Amino acid sequence: MEVLKEKVEEEEAAEREAEAEQAARRAAEREREDVTLNREDLIDLEQKLSEIEVHIPEVPVTFTKSTIDTSTLPASYRTNTAKEQLLLQVADNFARQYSHLCPDREPLFLHPLNECDVPKFVSTTIRPTLMPYPELYNWDSCADFVSDFLTMVPLPSAIKLPEYLFSPTSVLKYQKGNCFDFSILLCSMLIGAGYDAYCVSGYASQDLCSMDLTREVCPLLKKSKEVVVEKEKVVLKKYTVKPPRDLRSKFELGQIAKKEAEITAAEEKKRKEEEERLLELDKPPPDPMRGLRIHAWVLVLCGRREVPESFFIDPFTARSYSTQDEHFLGIESIWNHKNYWVNMQDCWNGCKDLTFDLGDPVRWEFLLLGTEKPYLSLLESEEEEDLGEDDDVENMDKEDEGKNFDMPCSWVEQISISAKDFETRCPQGRKVIQYKQAKLEKWSPYLNGNGLVSRLTVYEDVDCRKAVEVKEWYKNREDLLEMRQVDKVLNLTTEYFKPGHFLALRVHIYKTMIPETDRTMEFYHTARVDGLVKRSETPRSMTEYYEGRPDFLAYRHVEYGVRTKKFIINTADTNPRPMMKITERFNRNLAKLADDDVAERIFVVSDERIQLRYHCRTDYITTSKREFQKRNDVDNKGNKIIMTPDMCISYEVEPREHTKKLLFQYEMMMDLKNEEKMSKHQVWESEMEVLEILKVREEEEDTHNLTISIYDTKRNEKSKEQREALERQAQEEHIRQVEAELDYLAPFLVQLPPGEKLTRWQALRLKDECLNDFKQRLIDKANLIQARFEKETQELQKKQQWYQENQVTMTVEDEDAYLTYCSQAMFRIRILEQRLNRHKELAPQKYLALEEKLYRDPRLIEYLKVFV
Amino acid sequence: MIRLYDTIEPNVIDEELLKLAVEEQGPQEAAGQVAKQEGINFKDVKSLQLDFQNILRIDNLWQFESLTKLQLDNNIIEKIDGLESLVNLVWLDLSFNNIESIEGLDTLVKLEDLSLFSNRISKMDAMDTLVKLQVFSIGNNMLDNLLNVIYLRRFPFLRSLNLAGNPICEEEDYKLFVTAYLPDLVYLDFRLIDPHTAKLGDAKYQYSIYELKHRENYIQSKLEEEQANIAELEKHKAAYVEYLNGPYLFDSLYLDDIEAAKLAYLPGVPELLETYKTKFVTVCQTLFDYGLIQEEKRKAEVAIFYECLEEALQDNRAIGLKTIEDFEKIHFAALHTIRNANDLQFVDTKLSECAEEISQLFDVLMTLEMQLVEQLEESINSFERNIIDMVGVFVENVQGLMAQCRDLENHHHEKLLEISINTLEKIVKSEFDEDLPDDVRTLFSDKDTVVNAVGASHDMHLLKIDNREDDLITNVTNWCTAIVNKVHDDELNRNRKRVKEINQYVDHLQNELDNLDFGDLTD
Repeated sequence: MEVLKEKVEEEEAAEREAEAEQAARRAAEREREDVTLNREDLIDLEQKLSEIEVHIPEVPVTFTKSTIDTSTLPASYRTNTAKEQLLLQVADNFARQYSHLCPDREPLFLHPLNECDVPKFVSTTIRPTLMPYPELYNWDSCADFVSDFLTMVPLPSAIKLPEYLFSPTSVLKYQKGNCFDFSILLCSMLIGAGYDAYCVSGYASQDLCSMDLTREVCPLLKKSKEVVVEKEKVVLKKYTVKPPRDLRSKFELGQIAKKEAEITAAEEKKRKEEEERLLELDKPPPDPMRGLRIHAWVLVLCGRREVPESFFIDPFTARSYSTQDEHFLGIESIWNHKNYWVNMQDCWNGCKDLTFDLGDPVRWEFLLLGTEKPYLSLLESEEEEDLGEDDDVENMDKEDEGKNFDMPCSWVEQISISAKDFETRCPQGRKVIQYKQAKLEKWSPYLNGNGLVSRLTVYEDVDCRKAVEVKEWYKNREDLLEMRQVDKVLNLTTEYFKPGHFLALRVHIYKTMIPETDRTMEFYHTARVDGLVKRSETPRSMTEYYEGRPDFLAYRHVEYGVRTKKFIINTADTNPRPMMKITERFNRNLAKLADDDVAERIFVVSDERIQLRYHCRTDYITTSKREFQKRNDVDNKGNKIIMTPDMCISYEVEPREHTKKLLFQYEMMMDLKNEEKMSKHQVWESEMEVLEILKVREEEEDTHNLTISIYDTKRNEKSKEQREALERQAQEEHIRQVEAELDYLAPFLVQLPPGEKLTRWQALRLKDECLNDFKQRLIDKANLIQARFEKETQELQKKQQWYQENQVTMTVEDEDAYLTYCSQAMFRIRILEQRLNRHKELAPQKYLALEEKLYRDPRLIEYLKVFV
Repeated sequence: MIRLYDTIEPNVIDEELLKLAVEEQGPQEAAGQVAKQEGINFKDVKSLQLDFQNILRIDNLWQFESLTKLQLDNNIIEKIDGLESLVNLVWLDLSFNNIESIEGLDTLVKLEDLSLFSNRISKMDAMDTLVKLQVFSIGNNMLDNLLNVIYLRRFPFLRSLNLAGNPICEEEDYKLFVTAYLPDLVYLDFRLIDPHTAKLGDAKYQYSIYELKHRENYIQSKLEEEQANIAELEKHKAAYVEYLNGPYLFDSLYLDDIEAAKLAYLPGVPELLETYKTKFVTVCQTLFDYGLIQEEKRKAEVAIFYECLEEALQDNRAIGLKTIEDFEKIHFAALHTIRNANDLQFVDTKLSECAEEISQLFDVLMTLEMQLVEQLEESINSFERNIIDMVGVFVENVQGLMAQCRDLENHHHEKLLEISINTLEKIVKSEFDEDLPDDVRTLFSDKDTVVNAVGASHDMHLLKIDNREDDLITNVTNWCTAIVNKVHDDELNRNRKRVKEINQYVDHLQNELDNLDFGDLTD
């Protein structure tokens, strides 16, 4: 009966299990449905959201004279020196002649007003300065800095020269400026760094003038040109074998080739058309004011600082352009800190035909003669001489004026950038640049708590609605995360790490942080003991690549089966996925024979088979193979079969004696069984490691601590404290020294005739006087304290009296005031009492100390020691 | 010793003993059963222990070719013997025996650990070839000369030495001496040598060691010099112009030429000889230089040929590997489907398909091989032609230069004859007033003798020149035929090997398929 009962129970249990299973399945299905529903909803929501557009009315950034606080500016900003006045006269004269000679040209940008309404010549606004930061030594970093540091303010009128030109110091202070401000600042820095740089006033395209980069491809997205490796031509050696004869029909081959060529040509054509169409779409709408928009930029001439070719820098975007670029439509004038040149060349074709030989007076009309002339290439000068003769006559009077007249020094104060500003770079440490189908955001380091310094968002279309890819760069992160790239289409996240992390992670590509999903991790394999280079996972497999291992393992692939279902909720480590197949590949170990060196080892766990494939010998084309079938059978006599020939099927390139032995095969199989165990264990360890890494990564992502360099004095709290403590110490030390040096004898020595030696009598008197004086001072001090004490008590008494008299008529507030006064007064009185007592205690000691000191004083010692 | 024999019956190493030992020390448990089933081959045994067996003579061990560890301790062996064929031995234990001298170890070049503890050895020697020796135990012996330790300086890897229990250990400076003369030693008498002792020893024997070192260095440098000379000569020999870069050939002409030596006393002959020598040596030098240049050319030719050959083989191999790889991918997939299929009809068609594929693979591989054979044949033939031409040109030029030598000799001979006859005439007329040695004077007794003597000398010189020429030409032609044959043979072997490999592989595949078939039917 009991047996029966048990059975029934078992059945019941089974039923219950089955029910539970069904319930679980149903729940899972429901969940799945939910998930799909959710996803659709999400997509819908996204679409709907993307349709909603918000136009933020742009607040135009302005930077006018009124915003600048002129009160603190030095005198040179407010007045003109005599030399400057003269220069202005010269400039006016030059402008008059110029307008007379070239009546159809626009007026020159010669002496705009500065922030104090004083006209200043443009060349003197340039203040060449070499910045103390090594990062600002090259033109590209300088330009980057200027473009990042300043906020662009459009010109008051796009086609008129500005009335004002502020000093670079003000521009730096308020971090705002128009193209002229940008250019002047950049030019000052470049000239300071030794470049042959000039400010250019001219005309440029609309995009350039309004700092509009939406038609430009982001420089970060530009792919570096692939270096085409030229194939080395195979030199036919004397004994190179001839290729086997081609027995195919030449005609047919020709026909096929022709057809293929046609198809490719058609495709090419289509592609080209498509490209052209796209280009057409990309083109900006025609600008009605093309060629009239005023812009200022920087010209760097070749020669100095190993600049091989002259080029333009657009100060807004910090990009360099060739002098032939089509964005630049014309040049009126250029200037540096020493001179001013007017372009006399025709700009009908933009700047494409311009030559920048400033020594050539026909092409470039100079303002001042006396300053050092830029080079004039010899060849041209000879040619130009006779051509330029008639101009010489016109130039005559100008030259007379300009002769021996140097450009006055700059009126601008030295340009300086504080270290903090330099690090913060952008105003408020944040900057956004809109490129074609991309948005670049920059932050200064440490501004964001997670170390984010820049983010590039790439959009699907020109409208920048749907993001395709987001790249984020980080700095100073404790987990050494350098860059994170999120592919919005495939929903893939790629993280790049710098070397030095204890996990040695280099790249991490994943969809979610849930274990046993698609992910790839790459490692700095030299930092790892096991030489792991890469590990990629899918839900059903794991592949690992190794490098530089002593056991020559190069590759391991694990295929998993479906996890057996259990009802207790299992975590990954208590119920591992069953391994179905482990494939391991090894590199060639040259210490072994090829026939003994395993190339590939497959443990088919599900089938209890082990396959071995050996390396190929150098002159063979087939490889040895061996397959073991694990069987724990019992033969017909009941003995356990240990090893039979059919358990090992092998193919050997060259049959050898000892490998045929059963013993050899048996031992090998035993070894392999052990190896299989080891491999399984290693796979398990790998799985554990993945879990560990994921855990660590999640923790790090949550905390995202930033590291602070020990050289960073501002941020490193510890060193700051230490430094402050040191400073305090130094100060105290200083005070003590001052005290020590206080000469108590000085006032008395002054009374004696100087230079004479003291007599003993004098010395004694000196000592007594000094002591008496000190005594008097001590008594005075005591009296003073006493007086204050008495005054305070009297006042208190008065107040008390007054209180008692008026107690009845008093308001609550008055009473409160009285009480507070009382307590304060009592406090003061008590303090004074304490001070007096302390003084009384200390005074005799101080007196004695002084006496002692006086006896020891080197000036008096010889006279007083007799009495000691 | 007699006493020992009285009490113990010496044992002989015979088949039975060895079998027993091998079985006992072979694999255990399950593996042992397997081993028993098929028997153990003596050839495969790696280690053997034959201790406490009362063995008198080491014998019958020649079968144990791959033995790396042999223990023969605690026997009564008197002579090291019969170990010549155990060349793979790394570990040899002959302790507690009655050995009197070290011998018979010359072939055991891989030996690293040697124990001769408790024997009757009185001198360490005859171990020059054991350069890998690391651990050496020769304690409890009869070494009585401390200087014998210097012998051990030739083992650069020796780190552990046991000398305890020898008469030399009684000596006062034993430890210092050993540590000083064997500075690389780490363990002496199984104890770590402390640096203090080493320092003391160094200080004590500094000068004698310095001298020793100096001598050793001198011998070493001498040896190196000699080797360099030999290498240089080898190079010349490879160019077949050895001993032609100087007066060697000329000197050899006059080496055992008595007549010429006699004739040299005649007036005018030394000068003649001098000019003859300089001319002859210049010709030889030209020949030598030419030979070296030609050798370089031949080498380059051979190198480029082999390079091309290698390239062709590699290309062919790559194609072969690719073919097989592709085939295997498809083939294994097919086998898998067959294994899992249960429709007999389907299995049959699949099987025939597979068989078809295998034969196709065979065809492809064989075609590839035949193609390669054809290509190589062409290359090899052209190489053969070129190398034979080259050698032909070389031989021709050599012959020309040798002819020059012969001309010089002829010229010299004529001059010499003239001088000799003049002298004879003078002597006959008694006008010759210089005194000549007696045996020279006897030559000038009559004209025939003189002419014969000069002629004999001349003939001998010519013969020697001819011999040298013949040597050179035979050597170079031999080389030529050898290399051509080698190329042909190599190619033939390669072809055979490849064809064999292909056949073997295809047979294996076919077998596999058949077995599969068989298995299916029984299931």
